[in-house]
Amino acid sequence: MTVALLAGLALFGVGTGVAAGLLGVGGGILIVPFLTLALGLSQHTAEATSLVVVLPTAVVASLELRRRGVGNLGTALRFGAVGAVAAACGALLALLLPGSTLRLVFALLLGLVGLRLVRDGVRDRA
Amino acid sequence: MVEAVADAAATASPARNRPRALRPLDPQLVAIGLAGGLLSGLLGVGGGVVMVPLLVLWAGYDQRDAHATSIGAIIPISIAGILTFGIAGRVHWLDAAALAVGAVVGARVGAAWLARIDQRLLRIVFGCFLLVVAVTMGIRR
Repeated sequence: MTVALLAGLALFGVGTGVAAGLLGVGGGILIVPFLTLALGLSQHTAEATSLVVVLPTAVVASLELRRRGVGNLGTALRFGAVGAVAAACGALLALLLPGSTLRLVFALLLGLVGLRLVRDGVRDRA
Repeated sequence: MVEAVADAAATASPARNRPRALRPLDPQLVAIGLAGGLLSGLLGVGGGVVMVPLLVLWAGYDQRDAHATSIGAIIPISIAGILTFGIAGRVHWLDAAALAVGAVVGARVGAAWLARIDQRLLRIVFGCFLLVVAVTMGIRR
């Protein structure tokens, strides 16, 4: 692990953050393909590492939204606590599945998000 | 008698009304949270990609509240995923820290640029890029 690689990662992080802020697309959907395709990490490691980036981004965004009085963080956290149970199950399921299967499912999700963005862009333009 | 009951209710009401957040969650919200959480843990994403549309189309939230609620929910959801993957030893902590520092900075920049950019063109270009990445991921073994 070199300093240059870490700097490159931070730079890519800036890119995902900008895209997330501009498009409302979460960071994970960009970070997982980057870590697998560009850095050659396994699908499992890429997903696990992506979540560690998603957490601080969500914390910072939530604090900013609360400061501006948007939404109700308490309700959101309780709602998320329910989701956390499913997230642990989802992660266990991911650990049981082969990387190639996860990768295909991920590619499918990514394709759907891409299609939706294109559709929204075209629809707005019309 | 009726008044006495009403009084008792009035005295009790501050405590009962205040923590609105402590009422049981809507079954709809529970279902949406479960769907978002499952996707998040399975694929290493936040889960907003399913939670936001469901909150808007099914639970009747407006777009802003749906975003805020989804982002808040991602906090406990991602913690659960991190713990599960972390115990399995799958997390690259140093890579994650470098990415996270950049992402937090970038999100501020992105939000600041939001008003000044042609969203439509950006969506089309970026959507096409994601489609290319999706195909690349799909065909590589």
